[in-house]
Amino acid sequence: MNEPTTTLSPSFTRRRVLGGAAVIGASLVAAACGSDSNDVTSPVNSTGSTAGSQAPDPTSMDSTPQGTATDTTVAGEENINLQVAALAAGLEVLAVDTYQAALDAAGAGSLGEVPPAVGEFVTTALAQHQEHLDAWNTVLSGAGAAEVTEPNATLKPTVDAAFAEVTDVVGAAELALMLEEIAAATYLSAQNVLTDADAIMLAGSIQIIDAQHAAILYYVLGEYPVPDVFAKTDLAVS
Amino acid sequence: MSQLARPDRIDERALGELIEESQDLHTDAMAVGRATLPDLADHASDRRRAGYRADSKTVAEFERDRQQLIHRVAMAVGGVFGVGAVSYAFSSTASAADGDIDVMQLQTAVSLELLAVATYEAALTLPFIKDGNPVIVKFAETTMSQHDEHRQAFSAQTKVLGGTDQTATNPKYTPIVEAAKAKLAAPIDVVKLAATLEEAATDTYLADLSRYTDVTSRMLMASVMGVECQHLATLLAVGALLEGGAPELIAIPIGADIAKLPAAAGSVAFPDAFADVSLASPPEEGAV
Repeated sequence: MNEPTTTLSPSFTRRRVLGGAAVIGASLVAAACGSDSNDVTSPVNSTGSTAGSQAPDPTSMDSTPQGTATDTTVAGEENINLQVAALAAGLEVLAVDTYQAALDAAGAGSLGEVPPAVGEFVTTALAQHQEHLDAWNTVLSGAGAAEVTEPNATLKPTVDAAFAEVTDVVGAAELALMLEEIAAATYLSAQNVLTDADAIMLAGSIQIIDAQHAAILYYVLGEYPVPDVFAKTDLAVS
Repeated sequence: MSQLARPDRIDERALGELIEESQDLHTDAMAVGRATLPDLADHASDRRRAGYRADSKTVAEFERDRQQLIHRVAMAVGGVFGVGAVSYAFSSTASAADGDIDVMQLQTAVSLELLAVATYEAALTLPFIKDGNPVIVKFAETTMSQHDEHRQAFSAQTKVLGGTDQTATNPKYTPIVEAAKAKLAAPIDVVKLAATLEEAATDTYLADLSRYTDVTSRMLMASVMGVECQHLATLLAVGALLEGGAPELIAIPIGADIAKLPAAAGSVAFPDAFADVSLASPPEEGAV
């Protein structure tokens, strides 16, 4: 059982997110002081694993409650929070890059006629994913870790291949839906392993927006906008 | 938008297939959920033996948060339903006999789900809804069913953790909904009321996440949150089309009419990059 290391009141607001992200990073550093293992300042790559070490299997993580945590366990918890932050940042880079590529393709006329609502969606989603990326990178830099600037290495080849096949708005929307569903599922899955209260809130806050992006994309693609009774983790990246 | 004709269009068969597919997915999900219940029951037994209760510091934080919310929610919805009603609704202190913060949050969630089901059920009896746009009818029916599934899941988890099942609708929002119901005169009124409830649920579940000590409960709530926010997004888009005088564009599949959607339809459902918790109910609000 993972217990949040701090609590966050309902005064959590959008304006607080970026400021809060810096606090998350700083708190991860502070919590890890005194520990000599799982150095939180180690560079973290975009797949979420600390450089020079193998990412742990989240399903086998130590679930020792905070009150009985040893220094090593605390450091491990901060490590997993930073790994999630890096994983999330890598997904956000991929989303930003893909939406930007879609905008460029639309501007070049490669997607045919683009309905105004779709153009507005792409512009808005791009900007929001950039904000999400900035928030996660603020977490990472606040903890002394390297910011993520490269897209998720596991998904990028798949997305690149899919984008190469996109010739119209429908194809672009289908690819965007796939990305949004992966992101929302990953943020949901992250709730299983995150231990920092503010990181839990940040992941949850972004999960909501990505799920809403997906709902509108479903509608654009002619499908029911709320297809599941419970959000799923099937597409989560680990 | 206003110059557009109002065609009577909906692909009922396609919509029905989509909903049926969704229900199949739900059945699979419930099967997985049931498979985990024995483990959860063991966990609940452990918690009861350990005598877990919320500490005084946490309870004090809830009380402070609730007082902050009185003003915030009154400002948010008071313009529609009356600040006095909102403040009154907040003024009562729900008891929390179970004393377990996880249980309290689940009980409050059940109270919100019960109210959502009751509200959609009532909306479906209104002539301008039941005899109106078929997509809105389908949405109301499907969403009501999904909320009932959420209520069942939260109730089951409450019992697994050793708590008492909540059987009453949310004490804060029930009088607000009752007051609003008398004034419902058009689909847009229903959409706005439903959107308020969906936002309250989404905000509540987001605010609750970091307070859970039980990860399974947190995952369940995050999973439901991911659906309530989609209800909200849909209602915001539908509301914008109704207010924009384009109800004919509320159609599934939208087909070629996607070109007629106003640009705002692409962003109205998510006005901010981050969700907040401005309408969040405190954990003890619906506690038994």
